[in-house]
Amino acid sequence: MTEIILRNVAKRFLLPDREVSALEGIELTLPTGSFTALIGPSGCGKSTLLRLVADVLRPSEGEIRIGANAPSVARRKHEIGFVFQEASLLPWRNVLGNVCLPIEVARVPATRDPKALVHMVGLAGFEEARPAQLSGGMQQRVAIARALALDPKVLLMDEPFGALDEITRQRMNLELLRIWKSTGTTAVLVTHSISEAVFMADTVLVLSANPGRIAHRIEVDMPRPRRLEMMRQLAFNALENEVRAALFDDSGAVA
Amino acid sequence: MSGARQGLIGALVPPMLVLLAVGLGAELAKGLGLLPITVPAPSQVAAMLPTSFDDLMYHGARTVRSALTGYAVAASLALALASVALAIRALERPIVSMAVLVDCIPIIAIAPIFVIWIGQGPHLHVTVAAIAAFFPLLVGAVQGFRAIDRNMEELFHVIAASRWQRLCKLAVPSALPYLFAALKIAAPLALLGTLIAEWMGTDRGLGAMIVLSLFSFDVARTWLTILTVCGLSALAYGLIALIESRVVTWTGPADGGHGGR
Repeated sequence: MTEIILRNVAKRFLLPDREVSALEGIELTLPTGSFTALIGPSGCGKSTLLRLVADVLRPSEGEIRIGANAPSVARRKHEIGFVFQEASLLPWRNVLGNVCLPIEVARVPATRDPKALVHMVGLAGFEEARPAQLSGGMQQRVAIARALALDPKVLLMDEPFGALDEITRQRMNLELLRIWKSTGTTAVLVTHSISEAVFMADTVLVLSANPGRIAHRIEVDMPRPRRLEMMRQLAFNALENEVRAALFDDSGAVA
Repeated sequence: MSGARQGLIGALVPPMLVLLAVGLGAELAKGLGLLPITVPAPSQVAAMLPTSFDDLMYHGARTVRSALTGYAVAASLALALASVALAIRALERPIVSMAVLVDCIPIIAIAPIFVIWIGQGPHLHVTVAAIAAFFPLLVGAVQGFRAIDRNMEELFHVIAASRWQRLCKLAVPSALPYLFAALKIAAPLALLGTLIAEWMGTDRGLGAMIVLSLFSFDVARTWLTILTVCGLSALAYGLIALIESRVVTWTGPADGGHGGR
């Protein structure tokens, strides 16, 4: 059981002259194997929230649990996979070498065959290629394979496809859903795209800024597996509009 | 591999042409009586080579050995100190300040003091060579370690890498382009440091050979020795550049990187 639970979590940053509150009063339970999308205006703290769960940052207040453990314990047990906005691959390693990095670092017998992972993200035949030889989309696939290398219980993604063009992005989304289903991880996706959030997630959490709070929670009751045709359905559009309305709820006057 | 060979020839031809032009110019100027007695014609210097070759090898071997040892000591020390600065960020400034201080000491002035401290001989040569080469190596290593991508640091944190793993798998490879730049600058400096130390008195080494040739007013032989030192410096630089091109294969004019941007 690997739920992600946040209880009354707050995060404040100390600047030289003042304290900035990035997140306040976050109460969340993300069920095992669920897919959650975080969406909100820039600076609403959605990346901060992800980094708190990944134990890159520590909460100023409240408590976070990944399964039965604190994030720091889960991290050391290699239960967390993280995908950054930029692929962040080691340029001196080839594709296979980058995917193997977490396995080397953890010094555990590999639970997954790295070659099979490369295959799964659709890069068979590119094992020996260096990151500089790959397109942005291919680099992100490597980053996803790397995040899955130790079979993590939770997969955290910080706008992983933000830098990709629309066509590549949709293809990557479909593949990500397939991979997520086959691995059974609890996934959290930070995104700027309303349609991406609705298409991918079971639950879309809309954050508001200053301080970052969960303003709305929208359940996506579309069947799985999701297919691109669904994006043309009325139900899908209605959900998109619901998210859009929630997003501009508190900043609508400015927009 | 013909591309690589062409690249090598392309890299060697321009400096060779410059050397040839300077040599011919000097020969001409000497023939016209434009150069003072202290500057021999290139042909006179070349004529010294057969008789002096054994001496050059004898003295050169010692100089190269001292310079190499000093260079290795300086590189190890710089890498170790930069690693400490990386691990404990608060120590970075003191370490760099210390290096600046060491770099500000004129070697020519400190060398006689070292003669008093550690005496003459190979120890002295190695020490002075190391001091001369140290500063660029330290700055290169510190800057290289500072250039680590922030996302990469977070990644290594998330996958729970140890400090040692971060150093070996992230920091050192990230710093390699900077390290090689520093290694190229430091190699001629190590040679220069050795030379200066040898001037403080020794019976073997290219520095000694220059002094001995000067004392016997053998101008051509002095210049031959100087040119040998220049050749060694250029050779060291070229060798390191060659190793760099084999090791650092991931940086290029086109950074590749993020396809979509």
